[in-house]
Amino acid sequence: MNPIIGIAVKDTKTFFRERGTVFWTIAFPVMIMLLFTAIFGRDIPFNANIGIVNEDGQTPVTAEIITGLNSTGIFTLKNFTDRTEALRELNATNVRAVITIPQNFTNDLCGEQNVNVSVVLDGSNADVARLVSSGISTFFSRYYRSFYSATHGGEAYSDPITVNEEVSATGQIIGYKENIVPGMLCYPLLFSSMVVSTGAIVYEREKGTLKKIRASPVHPLNVLFGKTLAALFQTTISILIMVTLAYVLLAPKLNWNPALLAPIMFLGSMNGIALGLVISCIGRSPQEASNAATTIAIVLQFFIGMYFPIEYLPSYLQQIGRVIPMTYAAQAIRDIMVRNATLGEIALPLTTLTISAIVLYVIGVLLYRRWVEK
Amino acid sequence: MIIEVEELVKYYGDVKAVDGVSFGVEEGETFGLLGPNGAGKTTLMEILCCLRKSDSGKVNVLGYDLVNDSYKIRSSIGFCPQETLLYDLLNVHENLAFSASLYSLGSKKFKERIDFSTKVLGVGEFLTRRVDKLSGGMKRRANLAASIIHDPPIVILDEPTVGFDPTIKREFWELIKNLKSYGKTVLLSTHDMYEADTICDRVAIMEKGKIAALDKPDVLKKKIGGESAIHIRTKDTQTKDACKVLEKYNCVLTDNEIQISAENPWETMTEISSKLISKGILTEKIEIVEPTLEDVFIKLSGRRLTEAEE
Repeated sequence: MNPIIGIAVKDTKTFFRERGTVFWTIAFPVMIMLLFTAIFGRDIPFNANIGIVNEDGQTPVTAEIITGLNSTGIFTLKNFTDRTEALRELNATNVRAVITIPQNFTNDLCGEQNVNVSVVLDGSNADVARLVSSGISTFFSRYYRSFYSATHGGEAYSDPITVNEEVSATGQIIGYKENIVPGMLCYPLLFSSMVVSTGAIVYEREKGTLKKIRASPVHPLNVLFGKTLAALFQTTISILIMVTLAYVLLAPKLNWNPALLAPIMFLGSMNGIALGLVISCIGRSPQEASNAATTIAIVLQFFIGMYFPIEYLPSYLQQIGRVIPMTYAAQAIRDIMVRNATLGEIALPLTTLTISAIVLYVIGVLLYRRWVEK
Repeated sequence: MIIEVEELVKYYGDVKAVDGVSFGVEEGETFGLLGPNGAGKTTLMEILCCLRKSDSGKVNVLGYDLVNDSYKIRSSIGFCPQETLLYDLLNVHENLAFSASLYSLGSKKFKERIDFSTKVLGVGEFLTRRVDKLSGGMKRRANLAASIIHDPPIVILDEPTVGFDPTIKREFWELIKNLKSYGKTVLLSTHDMYEADTICDRVAIMEKGKIAALDKPDVLKKKIGGESAIHIRTKDTQTKDACKVLEKYNCVLTDNEIQISAENPWETMTEISSKLISKGILTEKIEIVEPTLEDVFIKLSGRRLTEAEE
């Protein structure tokens, strides 16, 4: 047999005999396509939490508006009785906008007087703010036309509902650069850390050098920590390069608070590294582990709100995104840089990332014992 | 006994790789596991090094139980497998430093061990060379140095000379003998009978996961290998006459060489020589051939060691 064909045949046979490699090779395009279909292949490509403060009380009009906003499919409404509480939720980015229906709204509308609806937008994410703003304005405009048609018959020639918008946080909807940079800084936490650590165990096993480590009195946790330290060093280099380039080349108007960014990035990296080590312990060959890590990292970037907000995901996928620890890292980085969040405000992400890192290391040790020492 | 193994069993699926093996190794002894590939030697060694778990049986190393005190046992063993467990992109010194770190060796002790490796294993000449630039023999020496960098009392060598040319093999045997002179207990596996005979104080012959025989090589050869043989070669024209003269010795003619089994080979050889000379038969060669461990293996298994590997 021709050596070229011989090599090709050997490699192809090897590929098909590594079931894990075959699985991840198929899983990658399938998962990506399913995800893209879920995100873009539907009529309603967006869903955001919106707070509503109804100062006008329960009237048929306000009831219709609340039902109507809910039924748009792009908003999930949370009712607040107190505007201050609603704004607090807005600042915590739990809702992306707060709509206040003022007192006498129903009376004024029925009396064909001009009415003002106040909307406060979360400016920490430009894309979300624009979509929410556009959605709310369009809704009220359509609502009035439907209201006029029902009460008067025919088409309304003017629209007395004015939506007064203001933006929280930065005071203005942030620019594209400011929007994209926090997401870019998540890249090393997810990709660099995972790619570096995925090879850590499986390559040693492939080469046989893991025998040396296993024959020594080193505890599996220390093996993983040793690997983590090396991966952390390499990830830190990636982070520093990313931060420097973003700062120098893009010069975004963001809050670069190292005291808060450092612990979040450290914990985010630890999560990425631990996940990579888990994959490395399971992987039967470097190729299989690499395929798995690449697929998982690429899929995760859609879930964690790295490049686009998770509100773009259908609500059921948003729920998945919200239980992925890296989502908290991405959100905390955005909060620190865009909203100038305080230590207290990022306490939840810090705690979540710490707990998830511990859980991942425990899983890593168990898998090391189960798979590597088998 | 520094190592005690009792009724050790290990399965791979339905295959019994190690089948009720029991033996003990004395302190300072060089103990060999001789057998073909697939006899269970490597599995047995990997169990002793805590790299595999046995299905049943008991192992004690330096008085520690393998299951309950595995970390203490790991510190006491230097394991050198067949393959070279070195990092190609690091130099020898860096590889040794990494191995030392696995055993938490202090810098003073590490320096002493580097000196030892230089003196006894001869790694000094290539300490600063990258592993991928070393010859096969150098790699093996560096590998052994890395395996015993923590100065373990027990050294386990899995087929240490497999694939070596005869010269490097002999060099390596000297290294192993040197280790013994430093008080190390050496447990090695091999399928080279001559190696087992040359460097081992005692040998366990393994076949299909079991120990078929265990003793000093000389005792095994004497007990199991059979009698010594006298091989005689004469001029081709005189071979038939020689056979007639030596008829009463039950001689066998193989490849124009007369072979005679003898319980007392020296006495028999003297007798034979006198008889042949008296009949005017000239010998080109007459020698005593002692039984080898190969003969022992043949007697035990009914086939040659090389056939068993095939």
